Amino acid sequence: MTGNGHEAIIKVEHLEKRFPVSAGLFRKPKSFVHAVDDLNFEIPQGSSLGLVGESGCGKTTTGKLIVKLYEPTGGHIFLRDPDREGYTDVAVLRGPDLKVFRRRVQMIFQDPYESLNPRRTVFDTVAEPLAVQRIGTVADREAKVAEMLSLVGLVPAVTFMFRFPHELSGGQRQRVAIARALIVEPRFIVADEPTSMLDVSIRIGVMELMSELADQMGVSYLYITHDLAVARYMCQRIAVMYTGKIVELAESEDLLSNPLHPYSKALISAVPVPDPRLSRDVIEIKGGISKPIDPLPRCRFFARCPLADKECETKDHPPLVDKGNNHFVACYKV
Amino acid sequence: MTTPILSVDDLKMYYSVREGEIKAVDGVSFSLEHGGSLGLVGESGCGKTSIAISLLRLLPDNAEIKGGHVWFDGMDLVTLPDDQMRQVRWDRISMVFQAAMNSLNPVYRVGDQIIEAMQAHWESITEAEARERVAELFDLVGLQPSFMDRYPHEFSGGMRQRAVIAMALSCNPDIIIADEPTTALDVIVQDRVLRKLEEIQQRLNMGLIYISHDIAVIAEVSDRIGVMYAGHMAEIADSIDIFERSLHPYTHALISAFPSIKGKKKELKTLPGEPPDLLDPPSGCRFHPRCPRALDICTEEQPALRDYGGGHLAACWNPMEVD
Repeated sequence: MTGNGHEAIIKVEHLEKRFPVSAGLFRKPKSFVHAVDDLNFEIPQGSSLGLVGESGCGKTTTGKLIVKLYEPTGGHIFLRDPDREGYTDVAVLRGPDLKVFRRRVQMIFQDPYESLNPRRTVFDTVAEPLAVQRIGTVADREAKVAEMLSLVGLVPAVTFMFRFPHELSGGQRQRVAIARALIVEPRFIVADEPTSMLDVSIRIGVMELMSELADQMGVSYLYITHDLAVARYMCQRIAVMYTGKIVELAESEDLLSNPLHPYSKALISAVPVPDPRLSRDVIEIKGGISKPIDPLPRCRFFARCPLADKECETKDHPPLVDKGNNHFVACYKV
Repeated sequence: MTTPILSVDDLKMYYSVREGEIKAVDGVSFSLEHGGSLGLVGESGCGKTSIAISLLRLLPDNAEIKGGHVWFDGMDLVTLPDDQMRQVRWDRISMVFQAAMNSLNPVYRVGDQIIEAMQAHWESITEAEARERVAELFDLVGLQPSFMDRYPHEFSGGMRQRAVIAMALSCNPDIIIADEPTTALDVIVQDRVLRKLEEIQQRLNMGLIYISHDIAVIAEVSDRIGVMYAGHMAEIADSIDIFERSLHPYTHALISAFPSIKGKKKELKTLPGEPPDLLDPPSGCRFHPRCPRALDICTEEQPALRDYGGGHLAACWNPMEVD
């Protein structure tokens, strides 16, 4: 990824997060859930990456690692700092540097009914990041909040500013959450299923808003979703995760029309099509997703894979390999 | 056309709350053919679940059926005495609820819970017969019969959902009402449950009313689709017709707003505004404040469902295509 304007805003290298499985009070845990295991990807400035997969595949954990809500147990996250040359290692940030980082990177959560404090007004919620960052005077903040609310389509802003969350609809709440994330002018946003609680007619509006703001403000997203169709519309590239590993990563259209990994194939074939005239071929895979507790080093998909053979059983988990056209797959049989 | 097995006529169900009356279902009519499948689609608060619980009269305390009829096998379920209604419920019409996978009791074996439901309705059934029947049902929904002696926590979400479907099938109902039965499931599991449900419905020639907010899921399981908006039926037609020539602007908007992973990447269209407050719904057609095709009459008079031929019904003063 070279060339002007296409430099990576964020680089993730060998990222790993293990959660201890409790062995009982006062006992040292012996087993670990390998929630995120040896993750590598980068997101070019101004572009968005969709992270898709089923519940428990580690996509939300990845998002929380990037915004430093979790500390990784291994690997690195590098964020490009526009004020300085090169990249800063997110893991070592402390004190004032951490505060700057919190401005650059923001997160939008899934459930707008839970992510807003019910006892605070829209103004309090949206202005809080400014107060924490000590940006501007109270009057400046009020003007800035009004500007942000208009930007996210809550107009006229004055009528929304002093309302409480219960007085807003789901779509409006998510717009407030977006305004709160954008007010500190971040460069990078982790959006964790931001539209999955919203109704269809409201959802497209919020998706469009997020895309427009990304273009206007030069923000990149890591867009976490279980919905492949939403990822297709929101992201240039999609990464498919399976129990802590990225198994395939490619341009969105390429991945959806020509999936290579057997898991991606099964996943894509299972998505219902909103058109009774189009048929789809179902690719059946055995069993279900299980928690990766102390997994064997071999391919995580081995037990369910229709292509698995001796090589897959004995070798380590396959690395992500470029099969041409920037289409990366982690499978020995492709 | 054969005679329908279930026919709903001008059904009204209101909730009373402190602020007034919520007209959740306000004059809805539709019918279900014998062995047919009808999908009810709409956004939250459009009244789809309220219809389901009205059909079975499983109403919360503050809800009341204010009018209309539900004809089933010569009986009007709205006025049927409670003891007779109990015989219809579960035996003849059963239901799979939204969070059904959490509706199993964690301290009883899954099989025993199904047996208990069966014994409550068929007093004559013996333990051995009931166990045999559960084994059959498990086989039918794609679960290993030996799993009937396991506890719910030993089942995955998809397996629990299938066990609940087996329970709904246990008394050989004529109709199953499924309210968002796969919404909490991951796509691969959802797909398995949907295909199983479709297969069983066809094999047993059972009526199915499938309720979902997801028009893609509805398109896969239903022969006919009813589109609901704010307590009214906006349009009802064969699935293909709904997609090929939707007449109601709301149906059109709903389909245009739904992203797909198949086919050309079409432009998604937003629908301005928000669904109305049912305490104080808009005058005339409830969709008119958001409708791009609204006329003067739309603000004044509520349009009735009109037949446009071939069983394609729509309630609109200015429908698409028929200009």
